[in-house]
Amino acid sequence: MPEIIGAEALSVELGAKRGLLKNRPGVTAVDGVSISVNEGETFGIVGESGCGKTTLARTLLGLQRESAGRITLQGADVSRSGRVGREAVQYVHQDPGAALDPWWRVGATLAEGLKIHGVADSAERQARIRDMLAAVGLDPALAERYPHELSGGQQRRVGLARILLLRPRVVILDEPTAGLDLSVQAAVLRLLRDMREKFGLTYLFISHDLSVVRRVCDRVAVMYLGRVVEEGSAAELFAAPRHPYTRALLAAAPRLDGAETGPALPGDPPSLRAVPSGCRFHPRCGLATPECATRDPVPETAGPGHSVACHRWRDAA
Amino acid sequence: MTALRHIFRDPVAALGLLIVLAAVVIAIFAPWLAPYPDDAFESHLLQRLRPPSAEFPFGTDNLGRDILSRVILGTRSAITVALSVVLAAMAIGVPIGLAAGWREGWLSEVLMRVTDVFLAVPQLILALALGQLIAPGIGAAMVALSLTYWPFFARTVFAETRRLRGALFVDALAGIGAGPARILFLHVLPNAAPAILVRATIGMGFTILTAAILGFLGVGAAPPSPDWGLAVSEARQHLPEAWWFPTFPGLAILLLVLGFNLLGDGLRDAADPRLRRSRR
Amino acid sequence: MLQVEGLDVQIRSERGTAQILQDVSFAIPRGGTMGIVGESGCGKSTLLRSILGIMPKGAETPRGAILFDGQDILTDRAASARGRIGFVPQDPYLSLNPVFRAGDQILEIMRRHAPGSRADHKRKIVELFRAVQLPDPEGALRKYPHQFSGGQRQRLLIAAALACDPALVVADEPTTALDVTTQREILALLRRLVAERGLSLLFVTHDFGVLASVCESVTVLYAGRVAETGPTRQVLDDPRHPYTRMLLACHPDRSADLSGIPGTVPAATAQPPGCRFHPRCPIARPDCATAPPPLVALPGGRAVACPHFETPLPENALA
Repeated sequence: MPEIIGAEALSVELGAKRGLLKNRPGVTAVDGVSISVNEGETFGIVGESGCGKTTLARTLLGLQRESAGRITLQGADVSRSGRVGREAVQYVHQDPGAALDPWWRVGATLAEGLKIHGVADSAERQARIRDMLAAVGLDPALAERYPHELSGGQQRRVGLARILLLRPRVVILDEPTAGLDLSVQAAVLRLLRDMREKFGLTYLFISHDLSVVRRVCDRVAVMYLGRVVEEGSAAELFAAPRHPYTRALLAAAPRLDGAETGPALPGDPPSLRAVPSGCRFHPRCGLATPECATRDPVPETAGPGHSVACHRWRDAA
Repeated sequence: MTALRHIFRDPVAALGLLIVLAAVVIAIFAPWLAPYPDDAFESHLLQRLRPPSAEFPFGTDNLGRDILSRVILGTRSAITVALSVVLAAMAIGVPIGLAAGWREGWLSEVLMRVTDVFLAVPQLILALALGQLIAPGIGAAMVALSLTYWPFFARTVFAETRRLRGALFVDALAGIGAGPARILFLHVLPNAAPAILVRATIGMGFTILTAAILGFLGVGAAPPSPDWGLAVSEARQHLPEAWWFPTFPGLAILLLVLGFNLLGDGLRDAADPRLRRSRR
Repeated sequence: MLQVEGLDVQIRSERGTAQILQDVSFAIPRGGTMGIVGESGCGKSTLLRSILGIMPKGAETPRGAILFDGQDILTDRAASARGRIGFVPQDPYLSLNPVFRAGDQILEIMRRHAPGSRADHKRKIVELFRAVQLPDPEGALRKYPHQFSGGQRQRLLIAAALACDPALVVADEPTTALDVTTQREILALLRRLVAERGLSLLFVTHDFGVLASVCESVTVLYAGRVAETGPTRQVLDDPRHPYTRMLLACHPDRSADLSGIPGTVPAATAQPPGCRFHPRCPIARPDCATAPPPLVALPGGRAVACPHFETPLPENALA
C-alpha cells in the first residue's frame, strides 16, 4: 500500500512568544519525528500526556507550524503550507461537545463545513447532511437540535459526521474513546471501523489507552518526550515490545486478574524544558548504562517493519 | 431564553427589568403620557413653584412648568442620549476588542495600550474641553461620553475573544478550514454577546448618571430641554422652600440608574458560565 | 465502619425529578476496602457526596441511613464524622487552590478538625509527605500547586486526606486524570497506606482493572441501584448479574473483538419500571418490568439483584 501521509525529521517548537517588549523561547514538543502512514490503515500514536502526540497530529493537520522537517501528503510536499492544500486531512477532537459552537444548531454546524468547502447549493447541502447523519447512525431530525441537547455519544457522532461531510482521505482521531464507558466504547469503535471501510479512510489514531489501540490499529508508534521510541505492527509491538518504555507502559495497565507484570516505572516524565541528555528515557530506565546518558539512540530494525530507538533493546528480551 | 427565565427567578434583577421596561415605555409614549406636553416648554409665571397638588402631581418649577410632564419628557431624552452613547461606544470598542483579542502581536499590544490611554481620560474634563472646542451642549457631551466609554467594550470583548480563541470549537472551525472573519463574526461574536449585553446595560445606567452630572454642571443639555440634571441644577436656587423641584427629577435619575444596574447585575449572573454549566 | 442502608436520593430539576439513588445498601468493615463500580450515570458520585455530606443542588431530603462508626451521619451532620472521613478527589489539577502554598492548604483543614498547635500540624504534614513519598517533604510545604506534577499533586491530596487521622478514606476515581504509569504508582501507594494504617477505604471507579488491584470487595451500581455486591475476586471471576456479566465480557482483557452492551444507560429522569436493566437485558422476562428485583443473598458474602442470575446469557448477547 502506498504512503498517504508522512513526516520526515519533523520538529515543532511550541510556546515561543514574540511580543512588543519580550521574547520567550519555546520548547521542542516534537523532535525529529519520522512516520509514514499507508493508505487505508489505522496508525496508532500512543504515549503519556506531554509526549507530543497531539502536537504531532496538529502539525500534520497544518494547524501548528513545523520548525523543521518535511510533511508529504498524497505524494506532494505540503511542508510549511499551513492548512492550505491539506483539505484531505481532517481532525476529530477529543471532546466532541466542546468542539461544537453552543449557539449553533447541529444542522447549521454541519452545513458550515460544506459552505466553506464550496458546496453552494443549499438543497445539495441538506441532502448530504441527511445522508451523513443516517450514515453515522443518527436521526436526521437531530439537525434541529442544539449541541447541549445531545448525549455524549450523539455529540461524538455529530463531530464525526461534520468531518466526513468534507470527504477527507485521512482522519486524525484524538483520543476518540476518552471518557467513554466500556459498554458503549465498542459501538464508537465499530462505527469508526465501518466509516473507514465505507469511505476508504486512513486513520491516525491518537490514544493513551493501549487496550483500544491494540484492538483497532494496524501499526503503532510509541512516543516519549517528543520522540518516537518504537514503531511496528500492532500485533508484533504488543506481543514483543522491545523498548523498555513500551514494556513499562504495557505493564502499567491494570489487569482484571489483579496481577502486576513487570517492574513499575518510577517517577514522572521530565519536563520538555529540561530534556535529559543522550537517551531521553535513561533516568527512568532500569537497563540504562553510562552510555545511554551520553549517546542519543537511533532507530534500529528489530524485525520486519519494527524499529526501536534503544541501545539495549537486545538485552531487554 | 434561559437567561430571561433566570432573571425572573432573581427578584432584584426582575425589579431592574421592570424599571427599565417602564422607562422605555414612558420614553416611547412620552408626549401622550405627559399631562401637559405642550406647556412643558412654556413659562407660566402665574403658577410658578406650586407644591404638588391634584392638578400638578409633582408641582411646578420656577417658570411654572409642570414637573411631571418634564420628568416624563426627560425620560425620553435620557434614554436617547444613553442609547446613542452606548451604541457609538460599542461601534468603536467591539471591533477593536475583536481585533486585539484574536491575534497576539504588536497590533494587539498597540490597540490595548491605546484603549488604556482612553480609559485614563477623565470624562468630565474631556466633556468640558470638547464643549469649549466645539459648542457646549448635549452633542459635545455625547461625543465625550462615547469617547470615554468605548474602552470598556474593547476590554470586555478582548477578554471574551481571548477566552473563546482557545475554545475547542474555534479550533475545530480552524480545522475544517474556516477563515478568521467567519470565526470572529459568526462564532466568537455571538458567544461574546451575553458579556457585551451586560456591559451595555451597565453602560446605560452609567451614561444616564454622567449625562445628568454634565447637565447639572451646565456642559450637557441646555435650557429649555427637560433634562433631569439641568432641572436639579436650576432648582438649587429655590431650596429649601421648593423641595419638590429637585426631588422628582433626582428620583427619576436614581430610579433609572438603579434599574439599569440591577438588570445588568442580574444579566451578569445569568450569563455566568459557571451557572450555565451547573444547569446542564 | 461504614454502613449505608436503603439510601434514596432524588434531585429535582427543570426536567423533572431524577431518581439518582434507590435503595442502595452496603457495608465496609473496619479496615476493609470497598470499590463502588459503575458507568457514568450510575449514581456513584451522588453516593459519594451523600457520604461526605455535600448534597447536590436541588436534592430532596434523602431517605435511608448512613452509619459511620455507629452514628447516622446522613441526618446528623454535626456528628463526629467531620474530619474523620478523608477525601481524595478525582482531578488533582482542579482540586488545589493555585494561589495558596501546599502546606497552608492542609494546615487550614487541620486547624479546623485536628487538635494541636501549628508546629505540631506542620510536623505531621512533613511526616505525611514522607509517607506519600513526595520528594523533599520539608520543601514541599512551601511550594505552590503548579510546582508539582500530576502524580505529585495526587500524592499531596492523599496526604491532605490523611491529615486529620481519618478512620475512613473516600476516593473518587483518584487516578482517571493520570497516565497509566503514574496510576500504577498511586494505586500501590494507596494499597500500602491502607494496610499500614488500618484504614477503611471506599474507592469509586469505573475501571474493573483498578478495582481488582485495590479493593477486597465490590458493589456494582447500575442506574442508581445495586446490581451485585461481594468479594472482588469472586465477582470478577464469576459475575452473576447479567449487567456485570456483559460488562466484564466486553472488557479488553476478556474480549478481543469490539463488543459492547446494546442500548444506553437510561436518563435519571426516565428510569424504566421494574429492574432498571431489563430494556438492555437479553434474558429479561415479562416480570422484570413490573417490580424492582430485591438483592438476593448468595453464599460467600455475595448478593445479586436479579432472580435470573443462573440463566446463561445467549451467544449473541453482546453487540
